[in-house]
Amino acid sequence: MTLKQYFSLVDTIARLSLKAEARRYYFGFWWWVIEPLLYVAVFYIVFEQLLGTRTPDFLMFLIVGKFTFIWFSKTVNYAGNSLVANAGLIGRMDLPKTLFPMAVILECTYRQTAVFALLGLALIIDGHLPNAYWLWVLPLIAVEALLIVLCGFIASVLVCIKRDFALLINLGMLFLLFMSGVFWDLNAIGDPSTQEALLFWNPVAFLLHSFRQALLWQQTPDLLHLFGLTVFLGCALGLVANGMSRYRYYLAQRVVTT
Amino acid sequence: MKPALKLSNVGMRFAMNSGGEKGHFQALSELDLEVNRGDKLGLIGGNGAGKSTLLRIMAGIYPPGSGTVWRAPGLSIALLSLGLGFKNDLTGRENALLAAVLQGMSKSEAKTHLNAIGEFTELGRFYDEPVKSYSSGMRTRLGFATGLLLDTDILLLDEILAVGDQSFRNKAREALSQKLTEDRTVILVHHAENAIREICSRVVWIEQGQIKADGATVEVLEAYANAS
Repeated sequence: MTLKQYFSLVDTIARLSLKAEARRYYFGFWWWVIEPLLYVAVFYIVFEQLLGTRTPDFLMFLIVGKFTFIWFSKTVNYAGNSLVANAGLIGRMDLPKTLFPMAVILECTYRQTAVFALLGLALIIDGHLPNAYWLWVLPLIAVEALLIVLCGFIASVLVCIKRDFALLINLGMLFLLFMSGVFWDLNAIGDPSTQEALLFWNPVAFLLHSFRQALLWQQTPDLLHLFGLTVFLGCALGLVANGMSRYRYYLAQRVVTT
Repeated sequence: MKPALKLSNVGMRFAMNSGGEKGHFQALSELDLEVNRGDKLGLIGGNGAGKSTLLRIMAGIYPPGSGTVWRAPGLSIALLSLGLGFKNDLTGRENALLAAVLQGMSKSEAKTHLNAIGEFTELGRFYDEPVKSYSSGMRTRLGFATGLLLDTDILLLDEILAVGDQSFRNKAREALSQKLTEDRTVILVHHAENAIREICSRVVWIEQGQIKADGATVEVLEAYANAS
């Protein structure tokens, strides 16, 4: 299979799944933006209205964090089940095993374009007008996409090996939601070494923080960290994709027989 | 006769975990089989005999646990089985598009086949309804029609003629017979003796993962009938 065929197939599966999803619900494509808005509404009511958070400009702070986090969490969750959900196809054809998580990732990314558009609109309405710092969003999106592909591939393999991992990945996303500063500011951590460690070991926290720096605070993200993360993700993705190709028969056997 | 496929000493064991007890199931053991180019070979045997596992190993979906499989270089091979691999939320038309693209067609080329597939299936308005609303007969019709797009040197057919009512079955057999050209190698798994008798000149009877008989269609089918 050539690279062109591979991406054409990934794109076809992703677009067909989006159409099917829109058909399934009464509000169809509108759910792409309704769902993240509802999440933000719930968090806003709990943390701003009930708990009275002291984070300034909390609504926009929350929107930037949640909208970028939801892309990661939903995509990796869905990608985790992508191999086992396609057991019928995998038992019939020797297809690249990365094809299935990749199709899910592209499907979620198409959906996310609407969410990013909504994010831009919300920022402008709130008075955060576009400026040069916004351009940092492009490399940040690219690095988050790289992180999603890496984690999506790993999740799909783990669930294929043992279905129990699907539950653990779900829990892991909840853990990351609390550990990544979606609804609290990393700057609130008193000890600088703790903050540094969190940003180093949790790339989701680093990316969310960087998105906020670029979109809300007119700051340049930590470029050295961003570069290091990109190199690490690129190498890790190469290794994982190579492993999935090398062990494709093992994966097929696991999917078909368990 | 040039060989198309050679299986030597092939074995396959699957891990099982039933009711918390771990064990193994020996699907195939020490199986030797040679298939020549242009052969029309039938595979028969009871449920769990190892036929589908053997087809998957032949198709290269996964390798055998032991032994070797040799496929003639340059020959393409595909496994066609019904009702598997459909996405329930997609319509019949969308599934047909996906099947065509999966089989190597470009999207635009695939689209040119969609109406013909729809007509062949006789699904009518259901062709544009999600597959989850289909009866099993409708699914198998769609599976057969999309499978007909396959154009490979070696065709592995897993129960694909068990499609709906008699009139559609006749139509399916006729469509399939056009694919069975002299140089195409076909390996057919089927429960109905008639289909095997009609298509195959050689039959292999598999029981408990081993070859019990291998020979001319009439003789092996007779031995199988006497034993069951």
